[in-house]
Amino acid sequence: MKTLDHKKPSKTQELTYELKVEQVMRKNVTTLKPDSTMKDVRRILRNNKISGIPVVADDRLVGIVTIEDFIICLLEGGEIDGKVENRMTKNVVTVYSDEPIVQVVGKFEKSGYGRFPVVDRDNKKLVGIITKGDIIEGLLKKLEIDYQKEEIHTYRASHIFEDVISDNSTLILKYRIKGGEFKKAGEQTSKLRKSLLRLGFLPETIRRVAIATFEAEMNIVIFTPEGELVAKIQPDKIMVNAIDSGPGIPDVKKAMRQGYSTAPDWVRELGFGAGMGLPNIKNYSDEMTLESKVNEGTNLNFVIYTKKK
Amino acid sequence: MKLSRIISILDAEILCNVKDKSNVNITTACGADLMSDVLAFIKSEALLLTGLTTPQVIYTAENSGVNVVCFVRGKKPCREIVNLAKEKKIVLLATKTPMFESCGKLYKNGLTGCSEISKQ
Amino acid sequence: MKIRDIVKTLGLKVISGEKFLDIEVTGGYAGDLLSDALANSKKGNIWITLQIHQNIIAVASSKELSGIIIVNGRKPEEETLKKAKEEKIPVMISNLLTYEVAGRLYEIGIR
Repeated sequence: MKTLDHKKPSKTQELTYELKVEQVMRKNVTTLKPDSTMKDVRRILRNNKISGIPVVADDRLVGIVTIEDFIICLLEGGEIDGKVENRMTKNVVTVYSDEPIVQVVGKFEKSGYGRFPVVDRDNKKLVGIITKGDIIEGLLKKLEIDYQKEEIHTYRASHIFEDVISDNSTLILKYRIKGGEFKKAGEQTSKLRKSLLRLGFLPETIRRVAIATFEAEMNIVIFTPEGELVAKIQPDKIMVNAIDSGPGIPDVKKAMRQGYSTAPDWVRELGFGAGMGLPNIKNYSDEMTLESKVNEGTNLNFVIYTKKK
Repeated sequence: MKLSRIISILDAEILCNVKDKSNVNITTACGADLMSDVLAFIKSEALLLTGLTTPQVIYTAENSGVNVVCFVRGKKPCREIVNLAKEKKIVLLATKTPMFESCGKLYKNGLTGCSEISKQ
Repeated sequence: MKIRDIVKTLGLKVISGEKFLDIEVTGGYAGDLLSDALANSKKGNIWITLQIHQNIIAVASSKELSGIIIVNGRKPEEETLKKAKEEKIPVMISNLLTYEVAGRLYEIGIR
């Protein structure tokens, strides 16, 4: 924390004092027992896409086992059926659910750990887990609520990355989209756009992300039953993934061509579907990939690099 | 070109006025009913002339940095869309003048189009 | 004014109906919504649009428009060209956008 001791804290810094761990932590924690096996570890790491699992006995936290522990186990030729208690870290650094975020940020800085189990101060039971990403997301949500009352420029949330987290943490924002809901088509992009404004990205960067994302949202609304937009935000780049549940694009190459469209007439009369959507996404992004399987769905990824201020 | 001048040339009605933008200067204009095309070529701070009155017109304006939208050929959006524009701080106008004449009159009065301004 | 004059003044590329460039243009219509074009365009109008779908030919033919200018350098679908030839509709391409094409036509007196 380079800047926390400044005389005049920014709004983001103020929030790190106001917000408590329990407001931003993840509550549904997957846990293991001391006699679970390393095989269980592998399964959970893989299925849940997480990097550390708390080990619990009688509701008490007794250790944590991480992806590193698993790799070391493999490297040493350890038993995959061996018990977790022999591989886990036993002296776990924990945080209390009623601690302010600012203290946790400090602990992240000092320890170099990627996550902390959260325990209740009174009964010492495990109640959650917290990562740097959870903190940024929590701060952003809080700013969003307060934002209703004030203008963006009075806010200075723009230095959220520099203020709170100094490494390359990724902020992940997800938006669900229902197919066919034309009235609302564009709303989710609007939310992402607001978050990017609050994070202080340059207007030209935000414009590119917003236009490409809007087209992706329109495609989901026009052509599919439902889908999701996932934006991964880092200080130097913004990655957007648009996934849907079908019907898929039979000929991706053709679909990328300007003016090629399979949209029905009624869509054209709504001002879309004239075959410019995907070419627009390609033009406004720095990198783009499109994978599609008929009857399964489409997976669109694009990246926009942010310009230095 | 000042917004007030555009309003008088097109004999337009103001559907939604935005504080601080009531006499905004407009440097270029674009007329289209297909929003992807608008997204592809419109410049920030351009005037958008359109006959489309869906919510996506407002989102298109928001995402591409357009401050003023004018509905042409007598089209008027519903109240929900006007409210959406208010929320996004986008000025909305409506004129009975068709698209062809709207473009023609503004062009003749010296407002440049998006494809010509990019060459300048 | 004839289509031929417009082609010359605006530097348009003719892709269909070269033989019918002497049709008289009565006025201009600009727009990309087919339902609007069907409702509001008038006989003899030259139609400026971004649409390249074959339905534009059906609209032009049923409303007896004098021709179609496709803007932004867009190339029409093959099916559109085929229909245009069948229906004897002149189709031209401009690299400019609707706003500028309409603007220039207005300047030379088309209303």
